[in-house]
Amino acid sequence: MKSHYVKPQDSSFNRTTNIIMIIVFLIIIILAFMPVLLVIMASVSSEQSLIEYGYRFVPKEFSLDSFKYLFKSGSTLPRAVLNSVIITVSGTVLGLLFMCPCAYALSRKEFKHKKALMVYLLIPMLFSGGLVSTYMVNTQILHLKNTYLALILPSMCSTWYLMILRNYFRTSVPDSLIEAGKMEGVSPIQSLSFIVIPICKPVVMTVAVFQIFAYWNSWYPALIYIDSNHRELYPLQYVLVNIERTIKAMTRDAANLSGMNNVTLPSTAMRMALVVVTILPIMVLFPFFQRFLKTGMAIGAVKE
Amino acid sequence: MDKKPKNSLTKSSRKEGRQLSLMTVPVVVWYALFCYLPLFGIFFAFKDFTPVPGESLLKNLFVNSPWVGFRNFSYIFRNPQIRSIIFNTLLYNIIFLVAGIVIPVTLAILLSEIHQKMFKGFVQMTLVLPYFISWVIVGYCVYGFLSTDTGVYNSLLDHFGADKVQWYQSPQYWRVILIVLGIWKSCGYTMVIYMCSITAIDRTLYESASLDGASFWQRVRFITLPHLKTTISTLFILGIGSILTSDFGLFYQVPMDSNALQEVTQTLDVYVYKSLMQNANFSYSSAASFLQSIVGCILLIISNVIVSKMDKESALI
Repeated sequence: MKSHYVKPQDSSFNRTTNIIMIIVFLIIIILAFMPVLLVIMASVSSEQSLIEYGYRFVPKEFSLDSFKYLFKSGSTLPRAVLNSVIITVSGTVLGLLFMCPCAYALSRKEFKHKKALMVYLLIPMLFSGGLVSTYMVNTQILHLKNTYLALILPSMCSTWYLMILRNYFRTSVPDSLIEAGKMEGVSPIQSLSFIVIPICKPVVMTVAVFQIFAYWNSWYPALIYIDSNHRELYPLQYVLVNIERTIKAMTRDAANLSGMNNVTLPSTAMRMALVVVTILPIMVLFPFFQRFLKTGMAIGAVKE
Repeated sequence: MDKKPKNSLTKSSRKEGRQLSLMTVPVVVWYALFCYLPLFGIFFAFKDFTPVPGESLLKNLFVNSPWVGFRNFSYIFRNPQIRSIIFNTLLYNIIFLVAGIVIPVTLAILLSEIHQKMFKGFVQMTLVLPYFISWVIVGYCVYGFLSTDTGVYNSLLDHFGADKVQWYQSPQYWRVILIVLGIWKSCGYTMVIYMCSITAIDRTLYESASLDGASFWQRVRFITLPHLKTTISTLFILGIGSILTSDFGLFYQVPMDSNALQEVTQTLDVYVYKSLMQNANFSYSSAASFLQSIVGCILLIISNVIVSKMDKESALI
């Protein structure tokens, strides 16, 4: 019993309800984390114990062999990591370089084509050409098939981010500051980079963080635009998709050849190790990034 | 009019206007290439696409392919599978729409009442994480539970002497599995959005309500929910607008594209993808995605009109 404890005035929970609710939320958290925990535990189990006892929350036999094997087995994994990093970094940086100037122009009163540009940016939110025409345009007119650009360009800008940036630029930079700059002969691009961006770092970081996660997690563009003759372009996520395909095909072949139904391939722990390698950056960066994510979500909740 | 200072001022402001316009050029070009150019593809839906190799896409589409009116649409509606595909898409989306409001709002209200600030932050941070995990990874996590030989559930069933289940061959379980996963992944994220709205509410309202002896339900009913109205309707309208659009990863990658599960896992996005990439059927695929687009657009506008009729402030546009 803490004697100094005072129930906050604005909460209707008494101490018992409060404790019960904390326990409820702890249970929810544990439930929500079980799938990820299982994968992590499986990745540090020995192959033998996985085959014998299956995936378990407490490994029967601890082993890091899966990770060792993963990093020793040729250049596939390092190359995939490199691809994912290239795509994530260049997509995020290019996206910001494109969107910040535009958002700045939209945030300025004196920009004459503001209304028209807004309509231009909002229409794609309502209506899109669909997968087929997007695919045809990207492959046959822009010739993006089997290039890095196919994984970077199509998701680089979004009206949502533009609106978030514009609203923040408009509300948190005092107009007088920009006017004063103008008196000194500062051009718009200079006032964006030396006045607006330094003040609006949090929102720029927010968009950057959302983009970083989106690019790191993306696999759909690779599924569509990169064919199996260009494996060297596969990002990490798509290597995972594809390993599953490969194993499925191998299992099917093995089953057909031997007439057995269940063929276990010695890759049970390795797959999970690859999953862990893929989510590790997210898990590590998440605590540092979550402040910005929350800013983004708070802005996203309030319509302009 | 011809006074010098004014002239130079307009000159500089014209120059500034030009510079501002220049700054928007990259984004304008990007939208032209990646959003507006594909809009021409709507014609795919009304054409029998018969490309001549070596000729440009636009020539193939507009010159070499004959108009077929609505034939592509009538074909996809004659496809016996399409009923279950549309039913699946609508069913999952309606469930996600309702659950995606009720569950996060409930969680957010309960969480906001907890006394410990640190704990609130901790819960938000941990529950939002699934949103930032890709469906590919989720697919593996699910595999850890459902794998026939090594999965946790089958080990448990085995332990209690029950028969193993071939999860990836048994469609009867997958509606529940997919719904649970869909909610699990997005619920925390939406909860944080509602939490942000709740923390923006003036705390003195709650304090005076407590002093007046208001019960928990009264406070929720008369303070919290009215303040969440705008956020709820915004997310609702957006959800209605994408009622025919499903999360491709959830319905394709998580069930590992298992044929046995198709009847419950196939949604319009999976159909569009498969008819394009596996059957190379451009016309049917684009007819289906045209339907998605147009129905979504119409529903979004209708629901926005209805919401704005009920309450002007809650409308999206």
